[in-house]
Order: sequence, then structure tokens, then C-alpha cells
Amino acid sequence: MQAPSTFHAPRRVRRCGPTTEPLFVRWLLIAAALVFLGLFLVVPLIAVFAGAFAKGVGHYFHTLADPMTVSAIKLTLLTAAIVVPLNCVFGVVAAWAIAKFDFPFKNILTTLIDLPFAVSPVIAGLIYVLVFGAQGWFGPWLIAHNIRIIFAVPGIVLATLFVTFPFVARELIPLMQAQGRTEEEAARVLGASGWQTFWRVTLPNIKWGLLYGVILCNARAMGEFGAVSVVSGHIQGVTDTMPLHIEVLYQGYDSAGAFAVASLLAFLALVTIALKAWVEGKGAALHPPEEKISA
Amino acid sequence: MSVEVRNITKKFGKFAALDDVSLKINSGELIALLGPSGSGKTTLLRIIAGLEFPDNAGAQVLFYGEDVTGAPAHKRRAGFAFQHYALFRHLDVFENIAFGLRVRPFLTRPRESEIRERVEKLLKLVQLESLAKRFPSQISGGQRQRVALARALAVEPRVLLLDEPFGALDAKVRKDLRQWLRQLHKEIHVTTLFVTHDQEEALEVADRVAILRGGRIEQIGTPAEIYDHPATRFVHDFLGNVNSFAAPRIAGEQSVSSTAFVRPHDIRVARDPAGEATLKARVKRSNAVGPVANLELERLDTGEPFTVQLSKEQFRELRPQPGEEVFVELQNVKIFPDDYSI
Repeated sequence: MQAPSTFHAPRRVRRCGPTTEPLFVRWLLIAAALVFLGLFLVVPLIAVFAGAFAKGVGHYFHTLADPMTVSAIKLTLLTAAIVVPLNCVFGVVAAWAIAKFDFPFKNILTTLIDLPFAVSPVIAGLIYVLVFGAQGWFGPWLIAHNIRIIFAVPGIVLATLFVTFPFVARELIPLMQAQGRTEEEAARVLGASGWQTFWRVTLPNIKWGLLYGVILCNARAMGEFGAVSVVSGHIQGVTDTMPLHIEVLYQGYDSAGAFAVASLLAFLALVTIALKAWVEGKGAALHPPEEKISA
Repeated sequence: MSVEVRNITKKFGKFAALDDVSLKINSGELIALLGPSGSGKTTLLRIIAGLEFPDNAGAQVLFYGEDVTGAPAHKRRAGFAFQHYALFRHLDVFENIAFGLRVRPFLTRPRESEIRERVEKLLKLVQLESLAKRFPSQISGGQRQRVALARALAVEPRVLLLDEPFGALDAKVRKDLRQWLRQLHKEIHVTTLFVTHDQEEALEVADRVAILRGGRIEQIGTPAEIYDHPATRFVHDFLGNVNSFAAPRIAGEQSVSSTAFVRPHDIRVARDPAGEATLKARVKRSNAVGPVANLELERLDTGEPFTVQLSKEQFRELRPQPGEEVFVELQNVKIFPDDYSI
């Protein structure tokens, strides 16, 4: 300020830096964001737990102990237990291939990995009905050999596998690309075999990204509705997963029961978010951005 | 006994990174591969390490007589220090150096106590004993380079390959490390090939220098040979400051036009004509900062500008004034035909 005596800028404006808005604008923006979050995220979450206990704690635990609910929980856990490890392996392999090697049609593969994100889950389910269903390509053969895929557990696993495929690969590709190939090359020259290079160099470098992808993949595997709904056939106690069971309860006018099961999924979501925050912090602490060295 | 490559050709798409290159590194020798970027230096290094493979069937890579042309990198026992170090970021300095010993097959893997002993010896050699427990992100660029070198040496490599070892460091650290490398090589005498684009570095450190251009070796020889007797115009131009003049055609003898090259410190300046090869020139500017004085001159007959380097004493004696006319004598003139442009 060269001439403060002749130029009286309003005090509030002068305090603001070049990239800072006036105080009331800042408060307005923060308030808008908080109101939005509250209305669309916090209130529904509270509503889920409030609804779950609407008919008392007794009804809550009664619903959860119901054999149909227990079966749905078991099926959901089984699906996740199969899908997550498989997608973990597929994701690492795909990301490794894409990030560390050059081969023809690499771009097409990268795009294909995103396909499950691009199509509606209902279509993902329908694909399997068209392929493995009674009227589908392999339908007659499967029926002849007494193998059930659609309206059975294998169909649910397949549909979930398809929908959750991109999570791990998507998480790892940019990370692996950023890390480059030189550490692997260094390991090779030092005498490490391909397998040793993977376990001793590649995997330790991606472990936090991998865990993050696995957490997201797991959350989606347990929560997937659309694709599973198409292939499941809604056989209560046999092919109902937790999200499907919630729908059954809700449509049977047992909204307290529906919310009770929903509260389990909501709780899982909260745990996932907490884990995710922890992993993100851990990953950032262990991999501080590399110092730039002037060339 | 030597590490040798024969007739290596390597193309990336249509671009020929290496074009029929052969090179022999004698046991215990330190050779610098010098060349501008894109001349194929790093590609040659990577082929020797087994990270790339030559395209042509006749190519050979020999380690002390053993043909390793098709062998994968991990079977070659070469030491490679990467330009940006490529240290394992999740391992500390000690474990980085120990890596090559730990991944050995069970039968040839040294005992834990032996590994410890050897890593500590290497830490001492590269003067980093106090940093054994630090992670790569916690040490400086020069220290990282030394860790990379120790890591490469840990496997007792048959050949040590250094890719722009000092490229990413600042000038002062570069100079120190350069001398340190020379000293280290004297101590352990490992056959070494190092890539650089810095001619000063190559001439100072190496036993022999190979100059690469467009995927071909232009000249190879001791630093003195290369500097004093450059085989081509490119080598002459690449090795340091040089003045160029359109060469006078000597009595119709030459059919092609050619260019004469003279280094700035090979030009004598005097007020009186002396010797045969004297020319008249006008002083345009002088700059006497630093250990030598630089003079910018212009030939009176052709108007071609050139620079002259004088010692401080010569400069003080002469005291050239801008605009003044002087006589210059060119020594060590090299004439190369204009068969290509630089």
C-alpha cells in the first residue's frame, strides 16, 4: 500500500488475498455444501437406522435372526468371498500387463476394462441370462447336463464378478503407470526372476492402492442389486442376497424389517469409508511425492 | 578377456537406434559412450544388460567369451545404474544394496551374516555407512546415485553399466562424484561402460571414449587421441568449442567444398604479422571474467566471426580494444569436407 491516506479501501476487501472471496461468500458456499450433504447423505442414513428400530429392538433382532435373512447374509458373504479374490487377481494381472508392457490393442483392452462401469447393471445381468439362460446360447446344453447357472448361485457370482471387475484394475493402472518400469528393470538386472520381481518389488509398491481397490470392490460386491436381481430369480432362502432380501421385505410391507437388513449394509458402508480413509492416509504417508531433482 | 558387442542393430519403428555397432571393452577398462541425445547410447547399454534385444540375427553380446546374446537380464550378472537411480522405494538403503544377494537361488545365496558383511563393506566403499536405515526418499540425489552404484556392485557384476550416472545432479556434486568414480574404479577395477552426453565428463573419467552419432560409433580412442586427432568433423565439433571457416580451395585440388576448424585456444593474436597463416581481423568484443579471456573477432577478408581464448597474461600484454585491427595465426587447423551438415 503506497498511499493509504488517499485511498480508503473497504477494510473487509483489503483483508482478502487475491484468491480469497469475501467472508459471506465463503460461508454461503460452505453452508450450501453442508446443507446438501445433510439432506442427501446424513438424513437418509439416520432414516435407515431410525426405520430399522421403528418397531423396537426386539423386531430388529427378530428380523436379523430370521432364517431367510440369515440365508441372504450368508449368500452375500459367499459371493463377496468368491468375487473379491478373483477380481483382485484379475485386476492386478490386467493392470500389470497394461502398465508394464507394450502390446498390440492395449488401448482396446484398457477401454474394455471400463465396460462394466459404462453399462447399466441390469444389462450386465441380462447378458448372462442370454448366454446361460434356458433360452440362451448354452441353455439347452446346461439343462441337458443338469448345470444351473441362471436363477442359482453361479449366476449371482458371475453377474457380481462382471459388475465389480473394474475396481481393482482402475485403481492400479494409473499407480503402476506413474511408478514406471525402472524398478522392475533394476530388479531383473540384479538377478531377480519375474516371480521374485513381482513379489519383492511390484507388489510392495502397489499394496495400498490394491487394498483400496479391494475395499471398493468388496463394498460393491455386497451391495450390487440390478445385475444380481436379473439372474437371481428371487428364490427366498436360496438365491436372495441382502439387497434383494431388503426389497422382498419392503414389498411385503415389513418396512422395519427391510430397514433392519438395510442398516447392516449401511453399517458396512460406514466401515468401508473408515477403512478407505485409513488406507488413503497410510498410502500417502508411505509414498511421499518423490522430490524433484533438477536436471 | 573382454566384454564385447558385435554388429548390433536395433530399430524402434523406423528409427534406427543402433546401426551395426561393435565395441570391445577390455577387462578392467572404463569406457565412456559419448554422444548427443538420440544417438543410441542408452540403447546399447540396455542391450548389454539384457533389457533390450538386438534385431539382427548376426548380433552378438559376449561376456568374457560367453555368448549371452539371448540370455535374459537376470541371468547375465551385469550391474546397471539407472539415470534416475531406480532405487526400491519401499526398501531402506541397506536392503536396496542387499537385494541382488537376497534374490539369488537358495543354493548360491550367501548366509545372512555374509550378506550383512558384504553390504557393510559396500556402504563403506560408497561412504554411506551412516545412512543404512534411511529410505531412498530421505537422502539426496548424490547419495542415491552412490546407493545405486553400491547396489549394482553387490552382485559382483561382470560388467558395470552406468546410464548418465551424474545426469540429474547439480554441477558441484557432479564434479565431486566424477573424481570419486575415477578413484573407485582404480580401487576395484571393474569393467565399466558409462553413458554420458557431457564431453568434459567423458574426457576426464574414461580410459577410452567412444563417440556415438545416429546409432554408429564415429570414433573410439583415448581422450587425448580423440581430442587431438578427431576423425570426423562431428567429433571435432562435439568435443568442445570450435571456430569454423569456409576453407580456401587449394589450387583447384579439392572438388568438394570443405570447412576448416580451429579451437579458440589454438589461435594466436598479435599486433604484428608473424608466420605464414596470418589473417587480419577486427576485435569486436572482449570478456576477461574468469581464468581465461574470450575475444570475439571478425575476419576482415570474409567477415566470418570467430572467438579466441587467451590466458590472462596474454590478454594483459595485448590489451585489445574493440574496433582495433589485429593479426591472428591459426594453429592446429583441421579441414573436413562438407559431406553432411551438423
